[in-house]
Amino acid sequence: MSGDTVSLYLDSQIRDWVLFPITLVMILVGVLRHYIVLLLQSAPKKQPKEVIREQRALVRSQILRATASSSPIPPTYYKSISQYLSQAFADGTYLKDGPPQGDAPTTPPNPLTDPAAMDGMMAGMKTQMVMMVPQMVIMGWINFFFQGFVLIKLPFPLTLGFKSMLQRGIETPDMDVRWVSSLSWYFLNFFGLNGLYRLILGNENAADSSRDMSTPFAAAAAPQPGQAQDYNKLFKAERDNLEFSEGLHSWVAKDADTRILQKYGRPIPTS
Amino acid sequence: MELSSSLQKLGAYQPRKNDKSQQLLSRKDALLKTYVAQGDEGWDLIEKLALAALDQGEVQVADECLKLLSDKFPGSPRVEVLTGIRMEVTESSEIALSFYDELLATDSSNAAIWRRKAAVLRRQGKIDQAVQELSSMLDTFYTEVEGWIELADLYNCCHQYAYALQSLSHALLLAPQNPFHFLQFAETAYLALDIPLSLKMYLQVVDMTDDDDEDLAPIDSIPTGITLRAWLGVKLCTHKLLTEPRLVNSSPSQTAPPTTSNLSSLDELSTERLRTAYLNTTGESPPKADKAFIDAMAKIIQ
Repeated sequence: MSGDTVSLYLDSQIRDWVLFPITLVMILVGVLRHYIVLLLQSAPKKQPKEVIREQRALVRSQILRATASSSPIPPTYYKSISQYLSQAFADGTYLKDGPPQGDAPTTPPNPLTDPAAMDGMMAGMKTQMVMMVPQMVIMGWINFFFQGFVLIKLPFPLTLGFKSMLQRGIETPDMDVRWVSSLSWYFLNFFGLNGLYRLILGNENAADSSRDMSTPFAAAAAPQPGQAQDYNKLFKAERDNLEFSEGLHSWVAKDADTRILQKYGRPIPTS
Repeated sequence: MELSSSLQKLGAYQPRKNDKSQQLLSRKDALLKTYVAQGDEGWDLIEKLALAALDQGEVQVADECLKLLSDKFPGSPRVEVLTGIRMEVTESSEIALSFYDELLATDSSNAAIWRRKAAVLRRQGKIDQAVQELSSMLDTFYTEVEGWIELADLYNCCHQYAYALQSLSHALLLAPQNPFHFLQFAETAYLALDIPLSLKMYLQVVDMTDDDDEDLAPIDSIPTGITLRAWLGVKLCTHKLLTEPRLVNSSPSQTAPPTTSNLSSLDELSTERLRTAYLNTTGESPPKADKAFIDAMAKIIQ
């Protein structure tokens, strides 16, 4: 390596007309994207009462079960609630489409035919497009105009391992690793600008594109976790849990009389 | 989270003329000038001012606030409920009800509107419809503790104690840390003549509330507030069980009554506790006879 003796001199025009524009364009595109995504995000749709009822039915039984081992309510009341819930789960009272018919297919609905699920997926796709298209355009722009440009020299030495990272697009075996090519500069910005966006736009920004590169369809899949759930099956499973907790039930005030007498130092007759 | 809690507050709102709303109303000019500078808090204040104005019957001030709010937050469920409350004051109940129905038709997930509807129906005296509205709301929004308490209250005022106990048991499940719900349960059970159940619940309240003073043994403390109420309840229950022995085994909830010896020690203990409290508040020795003593205690607690 003779990088120190045989030095490269960069035209300052490269700095003014290539390095700064690439950085500036990428920052601006990120900010712009943030606002476009904000525009595209439709407000979460209000769910009809039946759907909420279906989703929350499980919470009811969970609350009941959570208190079972030291329950605030006496056994008869506990049993009546527990059995009511169990019966309702068995009959499908809480299902949003009413109790299931005998011959109806039990498979979960295809998300492609369900308009509600389709909407969610389209929204995910839309944001995905806003993410991908500008990045592709910028990369094409850099590749077309500035291919093979050396833009900047890092102020610190690096080992050879960084060569493929920092000198993409320049096939020179001997050049010092500290020189950064245009395409590599693009990638460095691509992955490194998130901190800057957080400064400019706050923590919940949508400008960072490297985040969703790794999981292209995560955004589309995430908002719909409950869509394909078969509540009928969940309810049936919950019935077993209910039965189990019914056995665990013990009323917190069951021996309140002896407890209080003990607390106040009264003798407790053994008979 | 904040939205749902403030909606709950609006849902539970009842007009009452008190000093607090009078005070707030007297500051209205200053408030209306400065609210913009206070950001979100300022808007909260405007909402409070509107409610205070309705409390005091100053509809014009309320309208002014409401206009500010609806200009700033068009379509907000909170403002809609507030508009409904404003309507309840001047318009007839039918108009308010149809306004709420309209709101529910567009967005049936707003629990506060259901509660307002129930409140209007209750004021009209249509208890049955109010119960229906509340229970259909609670069927969906199970976790509204206040709703369950209100439903129990509705049942209580038509002497349906068994149903009231059921609604209270849901409230207990949802907030088992609240001794006041236990106390209410015990009192309702007493009214329903389920004395063993009531006794245990009163004792539970005592157990939950009597050790607020860490450094004082419970036996040396002087029962006050909710603990005192609970002790009076215990005394009432033991008195009733001792004088009417047939009640011991007639518990609709099949609660096991305490053993006879436990019962008499509990009776002694509660009498002793109540005497301590009586001596402490009035400074004179309490009446000797059981009945007169209970009456005297009841007066103190009131």
